[in-house]
Amino acid sequence: MTKWAMTADLGRCVGCQTCTTACRHTNNTPPGVQYRKVLDMEMGTFPDVRRVFVPVGCMHCDEPPCRDVCPTTATTKRADGMVMIDYDICIGCGYCIIACPYQARYKVSKPTFAFKDQATDNETKRFDQRLLGVAQKCTFCVDRVDAGLAKGLTPGVDPEATPACVNACLSKALTFGDLDNPDSNVSGLLRKYKSFRMHEELGTGPNIHYLWETEES
Amino acid sequence: MSPTPAKPGAQVEKVPTYCYQCVAGPDLMTVKVVDGIATEIEPNFKAAGYHPAEGKVCVKAFGLIQKAYSPHRITTPMKRTNPKKGKGEDPGFVPISWDEAMSTIADKLNAIRAEGVLDGAGYPKVAASFGGAGTPTQYMGSLTAWLAAWGPIDFGFGSGQGVKCYHSEHLYGEFWHRGYVITPDTPRANYIISCGNNSEASAGVCGVYRHAEARARGMKKVQVEPHLSVTGACAAEWLPIRPKTDAAFLFSLINVLVHEAGRERLDLPFLRDLTSSPYLVGPQGYYLRDPETGKPLIWDEAGGRAVVHDAKGAVPALEGRFAVPRAIELGPDEDRWEHEDVSGATSFTLMAEHVRGYTPEWAAEICDVPAERIRRIANEFLDAACVGQTIEIDGQTMPYRPVAVTLGKTVNNGWGGAECCWARTMLNVLVGSLEVPGGTIGTTIRINRPVADRLKSVQPGPDGFMDYPFNPTDKASWSGQPNIRNAYKMLVPLVGNSSWSPALGPTQFSYMFLDDPQEHMPRATFPEFILVYRTNPVISFWDTDKVGRAFERMPFMVCFAVTRDETNHYADILLPDRTDLEGMQLIRIGGTKFQEQYWDCQGFALRQPSVKPRGEARDFSDIATDLAHRTGLLEKYNAAINRGSHGVPLKGANWDFSLPTDKVHTAEEIWDASCKAASAELTDGAETHGLDWWKVNGFRTKPFSPTNWFLTPTMAKMGLRYELPYQERLTRIGRQLGRRLKEAGIDWWDHQLEEYRPLPGWHDFPKYWEDHVVECGGKLADFPFWVVTARSMQYAWGSNMHIPLMREVSGNVKGHDGVVMNPAAAAKLGIREGDRIEVSSPIGTSVQGRAVLSEGIRPDTLLMMSQFDHWATPVAKDFDVPSMNRLTAMSMSLTDATGSAADLTRVGMRKVGDRP
Repeated sequence: MTKWAMTADLGRCVGCQTCTTACRHTNNTPPGVQYRKVLDMEMGTFPDVRRVFVPVGCMHCDEPPCRDVCPTTATTKRADGMVMIDYDICIGCGYCIIACPYQARYKVSKPTFAFKDQATDNETKRFDQRLLGVAQKCTFCVDRVDAGLAKGLTPGVDPEATPACVNACLSKALTFGDLDNPDSNVSGLLRKYKSFRMHEELGTGPNIHYLWETEES
Repeated sequence: MSPTPAKPGAQVEKVPTYCYQCVAGPDLMTVKVVDGIATEIEPNFKAAGYHPAEGKVCVKAFGLIQKAYSPHRITTPMKRTNPKKGKGEDPGFVPISWDEAMSTIADKLNAIRAEGVLDGAGYPKVAASFGGAGTPTQYMGSLTAWLAAWGPIDFGFGSGQGVKCYHSEHLYGEFWHRGYVITPDTPRANYIISCGNNSEASAGVCGVYRHAEARARGMKKVQVEPHLSVTGACAAEWLPIRPKTDAAFLFSLINVLVHEAGRERLDLPFLRDLTSSPYLVGPQGYYLRDPETGKPLIWDEAGGRAVVHDAKGAVPALEGRFAVPRAIELGPDEDRWEHEDVSGATSFTLMAEHVRGYTPEWAAEICDVPAERIRRIANEFLDAACVGQTIEIDGQTMPYRPVAVTLGKTVNNGWGGAECCWARTMLNVLVGSLEVPGGTIGTTIRINRPVADRLKSVQPGPDGFMDYPFNPTDKASWSGQPNIRNAYKMLVPLVGNSSWSPALGPTQFSYMFLDDPQEHMPRATFPEFILVYRTNPVISFWDTDKVGRAFERMPFMVCFAVTRDETNHYADILLPDRTDLEGMQLIRIGGTKFQEQYWDCQGFALRQPSVKPRGEARDFSDIATDLAHRTGLLEKYNAAINRGSHGVPLKGANWDFSLPTDKVHTAEEIWDASCKAASAELTDGAETHGLDWWKVNGFRTKPFSPTNWFLTPTMAKMGLRYELPYQERLTRIGRQLGRRLKEAGIDWWDHQLEEYRPLPGWHDFPKYWEDHVVECGGKLADFPFWVVTARSMQYAWGSNMHIPLMREVSGNVKGHDGVVMNPAAAAKLGIREGDRIEVSSPIGTSVQGRAVLSEGIRPDTLLMMSQFDHWATPVAKDFDVPSMNRLTAMSMSLTDATGSAADLTRVGMRKVGDRP
């Protein structure tokens, strides 16, 4: 089997938001809709303070709460682990947006553009009516993954088959790969590093694994 | 599901090009273009293996599509119809034809040329401001050839240089080790002490990539700064130091190395053979010299006598005082002292005695950091230095010293900057980590020549040191009449006289002297014609109200413009700029340059139009050619192109693609010839690919061995020494300068002359700014905070405040939306998150913004990130985020000897409103 997952190395991430912009470009999301973004978190009290950058987005959970609350079955989980939304079925009720403990979902009801009312040429060219009034979120760049696989490429290794955020990441903090393949990049990283998952106690089985230090250190 | 893919039958292209928006570039990228519309920016995956960061580009590059399609773009030439210039005046710009615009410009230039290119005071009538760090030249096509053809131009109206750059490092670094910009050898460094160096925001794609790789293999970075920057966040340790006390911290590290650690832990062979440590210093403070040859003397331990520094077979004594039977000292001008039976101390001994009092306990009081942490950091640095170890790179065995010390801008600039630069370099000298693998290295030269090759710039100079092109201070050659308004040649010997020197400054003097004439110097005049490109000094300088008032009075101003902004608000003519995705240019890539752009290959990359230009925007090279034609400079302009002033000489050893000098050539013709010449240069004439090949392939390189990243092997091979620790030559030059100025009746530079000392030491640098409060008529108690700034990767250098995507994503990073302050300090003033506060400066200006509370900042410090405060730039003028640039003073008393001032000031602060 295949199970797509992502690792985010907190020791590498610098919070630059290049992944955020790459995602905005690739997925043509409207202003403010950031399927991928990096949180800037601060802990402690001066002078004992830590600041850490945490990439977040849809966790493509094993047990996605968004799917469970969806009244129309628009949200589904593929066999390879990707949580998907069928825009044709979604009625935009927003239950999933509230149910998601990772605040990963968005809904935009009317066309919005970078420069307010004026759509630029690229926004006009790429405008996608299907995304109005429905839930939307990170897809793990499913089209790139599927098209890449069809060409015999390896997602997470070959850029053409890899999510845009991972390709763009300057610090190689983000890695995408097959968790079920023990030889995959993500499996290797999870063996090497200590890791955690966000809100694991909720039982959602999130599939972004945060790496923070090596097992040896 | 994903967004709708390109429709079947759509024409999809991936256009290779480059991003050089910031000084940390260039980086390579591709633009996805669907049916002629740019839709996505992507890394250039084909550059993996060439570009040090796998062909990636940073967040700023992703703003380029909105930049190209912005509805706020200036798309036609425009002229001002309101003759009144002022912040509150509507310029009344109206569209005009290119012919009218270029005729107006050429008429003005031709009139100037007819009457003489210098004005009555001797200053160039034409001035230009091109932003910082040379990045605009990566976008201005062949305009550089027109500039060369014109003759004298005042390039001294800067855009923040001297405060927003690494000014002291530029000058002292290039002097000591050809390090105009200095970085760790990050691929090998294991321990980095960073005094405010914000590499994770400022070192570009290659810097971020390399530092992340280094952290992953266990590199430890200690970040020393008043606030916890993004770089501090990524560091292993944060040391929240009191602002402007970094020199004391660095001195105390030297103290631990010299007075607490055993000598055997230092790199004694490096000190003995590659530095001036053994040179004997006489009672007047100058080197003891051989009376016959004038060469500095060392003590030969083998022979037990003083010999000249380059005596064959001598074993130099590193430490001690020695009796020398006969010697001379050479001081400023003709000053000469003849000695018999004189005692000489080695430079190392004097340095060691000099730092004896700089203990960690001493520094702890000044810096507000615990002594035990200072001591531990010094010892960790020593432990990590691997003194004695070697590494093999490309078959060459070299020293291996994986420790580095880096400095940030405010640490580097203004009073105290020189001391930090000396101390940082000395830390590396003591363990031999200067210019060797793993250590602290320079990447760029801008004052010496040839600019493209640091190693070749190493030429023997006096006394066994490298030569350096000081502006002379001897009586016969000192430049007592400034050639441009900021008087760099007259006042700053270290800044040299390369094409970069005018913009290195003191750039603030270009603005200051317009209204504050200095005694015994020709009064600064307004240039009759000023050209501005890819910069916005009314926002990006400091004391920006003063800068604005200067631009108000510029008689004739031409600005290339993407959108309206605060500087081109004062323009007479606006010319539409082709954006990064629309213009064409071939640039050099690789080798070693700026930040962390040291590659293991070098070559060229092409920027090509990936989309059609908006409106009537013309290619920069076509504009330059038109200007050359209209100003009667076509032959000189074409000749300059043939020489390579636009980036590549068209004629080489066995190729010649020179353009006929009497003809007008299109941009395509110029760059086609340039591509052919570049291909030939990379292959010794074997390949002559033209523009079409480069449009498809984007870049081409040839190998560049990493052994070229390090200067020390070249120094050793040439038998040269680094001019450290003792600053004999600089002291002499400075004292000569003092005499020249005194002879000219000038006393307003006296304080700056004090920086010329053989051994830099601690002075109460924070007090300089405290005294400035009093100088301005204020009370220190009313200005209890320091305000500092930090670079934003999302914005730095990009001229991209008008791009909504940048505003959106920068909002994810703390500090982009207001004034960052410590919660405990805020509570004392009754300030809560989001409250409106006013920050006021001793110069009488104030700004307002939202309070952003963070534990990652000292209670005595405020942080204003980036440079906001726009009032004309579309999108940005609605941010309501203040900038410290209106608060910092242009002041002679805050200008140091290199001409720089620091990006900080004392401020007062009060709450003016509750959070909405």
